Amino acid sequence: MRRLAAVDAQAAAQGLFAGQKAADAAALVPELDVAEAEPEADALALTALVDWCVRFSPAVAADAPDGLFLDIEGVDHLWGGEAAMAADFAARLAANGLLFRWAIADTPGAAWALAHFGPNGAIAPPGMSEPLLGPLPPAALRLQAETAAQLGRLGLTRLGQLLALPRGPLARRFGKEVLIRLDQALGRTGEALASRRPPTPWFARLAFAEPISAPEDLARVSADITEKLCARLEAAGCGARRFELSFHRLDGRAETVGVGLSRAGREAARIARLFAPKLDYVDPGFGIEVATLAASDVERLGERQTALDAAAEAAAEAGLVPLIDRLANRLGEERVWRAVPVESHVPERAVGRAAPLAPASGARPWSPERPRPLRLFRRPEPIEAMAPIPDDPPVQFRWRGRLHRVRAAEGPERIAEEWWRGAIEDVSVAHVRDYYRVEDQDGARFWVFRAGLYEAGTPAKWWLHGLFG
Amino acid sequence: MSDFRALRAKIAAIEAGGRGASEVLAFGAPALDRLLPGGGLPLGRWHELVGEGLEVETAAATAAFAALAAAPLARRGEAVWVLRRDDLFAPGLAGLGFPTDRLIQVCARDEAEAFSVMEDALSTVGVSAVFAEVDDVDLVAGRRLQLACERRGGTGFVIRRRPYGGGAGRAVGSASATRWRIAPEPSAPADFGLGAPRWRVALERCRGGRTGAWILEACAAFDPLSAGDADGAHPLRLVAELGDRQLAPAQSLRLSA
Repeated sequence: MRRLAAVDAQAAAQGLFAGQKAADAAALVPELDVAEAEPEADALALTALVDWCVRFSPAVAADAPDGLFLDIEGVDHLWGGEAAMAADFAARLAANGLLFRWAIADTPGAAWALAHFGPNGAIAPPGMSEPLLGPLPPAALRLQAETAAQLGRLGLTRLGQLLALPRGPLARRFGKEVLIRLDQALGRTGEALASRRPPTPWFARLAFAEPISAPEDLARVSADITEKLCARLEAAGCGARRFELSFHRLDGRAETVGVGLSRAGREAARIARLFAPKLDYVDPGFGIEVATLAASDVERLGERQTALDAAAEAAAEAGLVPLIDRLANRLGEERVWRAVPVESHVPERAVGRAAPLAPASGARPWSPERPRPLRLFRRPEPIEAMAPIPDDPPVQFRWRGRLHRVRAAEGPERIAEEWWRGAIEDVSVAHVRDYYRVEDQDGARFWVFRAGLYEAGTPAKWWLHGLFG
Repeated sequence: MSDFRALRAKIAAIEAGGRGASEVLAFGAPALDRLLPGGGLPLGRWHELVGEGLEVETAAATAAFAALAAAPLARRGEAVWVLRRDDLFAPGLAGLGFPTDRLIQVCARDEAEAFSVMEDALSTVGVSAVFAEVDDVDLVAGRRLQLACERRGGTGFVIRRRPYGGGAGRAVGSASATRWRIAPEPSAPADFGLGAPRWRVALERCRGGRTGAWILEACAAFDPLSAGDADGAHPLRLVAELGDRQLAPAQSLRLSA
């Protein structure tokens, strides 16, 4: 049974409506142009539209299947008022060929109601949404279909009538949902919107009269917008740890570069310098018309007075932190680390990687009684060793084609597998390594191990795991 | 006698090119220190360490010697180790006596990046020693490293290594303050297990000093009793002096090396 999913204005004028059977519609209007509905493509398009709207405000949420919410608190002053912002928004959407209705109110519920059922382009003054909501039908409250039908059957065709009713009987008769939706529309309870990106009040925006694309312009823009946001952070006594700079192109796509700091900061020059090498990867396309900078992980940062002669401690902090930031942002955070002890017997697991400036954890340091090599191979290399007496170190071994005669040796140090890690069926007494520290005739020192227990008849497998200095 | 010393200081200042007096890190062994300008390893400069044979690829002995020679330095500030292949095992460094809680490791993707990271780290306040494992230092890069060291007084240690193998054949000229050649040496027999690790160390090039060769030992390595040693003794101890250069009792002044 094929039904119409949506009709345009002309078809509606001819008497067609959504939900009508396609056969009936074709009979009524023979020259009807029918296209297949693609709900997934529509959802993708809505997501793209939500991303495009980030240039207006960072807090954008999709309202499936065909609407979206924009939280414009605190950003409308950039256009000089809500009306100007809405006019700009409407003009751009219309320029992209979209048909739409919009409304501004101080709660998402009221805005939804006005946009769907109120006059197009309604702006409800703050706190004054009740009189505007009065003439709207109950379906404007986003209720379930049966509840709205019930309300209609009882003659409650205006929200004004609903608002006049006492709340207790209303909840008992129709359920709590009606009350919740009413309160949400009037602002008595809050409503959480799931934004596509977590909204942050630390947001700066620069728009250009002419689209830019030259690299020097991008660098200058990043410096200017960073200064703008850092001035706000400084005025509020805060610093941020992640900064995300988005360049919004003429064709609607946005290119984003991010910078992370190991300690919260707000020095505009330093952050702009961290952005500089990443701007090479921004593709401006036909031009960039808007740049936005969002800061996250914002924390309080006290004032720091620049002393005339800084103490050695302060100087160390000022130099080391920017170095770590530069290296981490240029090479990647996984390439700059400090080795920290991990409680594990297995040598390759005994070292963990931590951020260089993280405070020391209380883990037990490596035991000096167990000698460990300076170079540890990622994978132990097989060697051919001759150990005539079981449980004794080898007398000679061949590694990478060279024969090494063992002069002195130390060991064995038996390291068994960590049986608590895997399935209990895989645990075996034979999963052991007997490590020996051997020195050859030239003085080179090696860390070799025999895998498994000694079994008469089978040749033992020997491996080289590391080199001592 | 004091005018002689004053004259010597003047000549040393001229030799240093007007860059001012530099600190030194004494080895604590007169046989070593008297060959080095100023009586110890010059700080605020960069030094080169070379190995032979298998050490060209693995650089285990050179890294161990660098870590031991610079351990007292690393305690004064942070140490940065720039790697091309991350097989440096921190428990091994800790066993030798190097303060691993002050070590920052950076893994660079190629030689140019390793040099630029080393330069950046040397110009940072608070970093006292920077180690880098690179293959070859040409004159231009060496000069840049020298300038970076002088900016903040950091000391650089270049460990020559080809981490992924390859043929030999490298440039000879370099601008390092000292060049050392390290080779492993059999340790003294001990009653239990292996003795303290030993190296055959040759000072091949020393600006403002003389060359020599010695056998050095890390007496406090893997010794649980000396963990966290606070008396400040140098971790390396002189075992024997090698070589054919016997020093004349009256030292003549040499102006260049």
